[in-house]
Amino acid sequence: MSTAVRVGDRLPEWDLPRVSREKMKTLAPILADPNPIHWDVDVVRGLGMGERPVNQGPSNMAYVMNMLAAWSGGHDRLRRLRVRFAGNVLGDDHVVARGVVSAVRDEGGRTVATCDVELVVVDGAVALTGTADVDVTDLSDPAGSPSPTTSTTTEER
Amino acid sequence: MTEKELAAVVGRTFPGGEYTVEPYVDWLVRDVVDADQGEHVAHPLFAFIGSLRGKGMSLDELFEICGATAADGPMFGEHETEVIEPLRVGETYAVAGRFVSAERKHGRTAGTFDVVGFELTMTDRSGKAAVRVFNSFVFPRRAA
Repeated sequence: MSTAVRVGDRLPEWDLPRVSREKMKTLAPILADPNPIHWDVDVVRGLGMGERPVNQGPSNMAYVMNMLAAWSGGHDRLRRLRVRFAGNVLGDDHVVARGVVSAVRDEGGRTVATCDVELVVVDGAVALTGTADVDVTDLSDPAGSPSPTTSTTTEER
Repeated sequence: MTEKELAAVVGRTFPGGEYTVEPYVDWLVRDVVDADQGEHVAHPLFAFIGSLRGKGMSLDELFEICGATAADGPMFGEHETEVIEPLRVGETYAVAGRFVSAERKHGRTAGTFDVVGFELTMTDRSGKAAVRVFNSFVFPRRAA
């Protein structure tokens, strides 16, 4: 197996400077999630949870999926994602998704990378941690030399 | 809920149902989560959305099986998406699943709580499984 993706490579970070309060309202009916902490600040305040709505956990997971897609070439490259929800993301938070390659293997002629991933609130806590398996065959270089995409990744280490 | 009642949750099946990845919903979800538009596959978050929406049971009903209500403060614990074939926009999938785990735990600060896990599968029209998901909920048991 030859690949330009190596254990220890850091994935390009995926950055969202401001989590939208309004988009939480759109997602609530799509998820059929009736919990008002995602849109009603009066409820959030009444529960002693502050003055900002709480982002839906699936959105936090989707940010990590977006990071993996941007790195690997598309959302169709995701094989598996396992996450643990560790904390809340609030409206107006600045979040960053990060990842690092922990293993690379061949699966039926395809190159699959396992990555440790996380979503962190800037100047805050870790909101989500997990692991992902991603098909990185298209990042592979038959000659064994780094491709432009993964050269960038390696240089960021 | 006693530990015996908790253990009996394992093996229970969901009524099941269907979920269609509507093109406009894929657009909206991508907009909500700041993903690029125009890919030939659905956003993978639809494994989570479609399986939960198509399982044939509301979250309140799920909580009731686990001996809780939304007012008890259940929280998502873990989630796993396994993609066998990427979900397609416009495709309708059958959803089926069951509860696979239920465990009572005791934490020094959290007190007594139960972790209940369930698996769901989305199957395409040809009968081929496209995605499998695992979710767990954490139920505080203040009176346990």
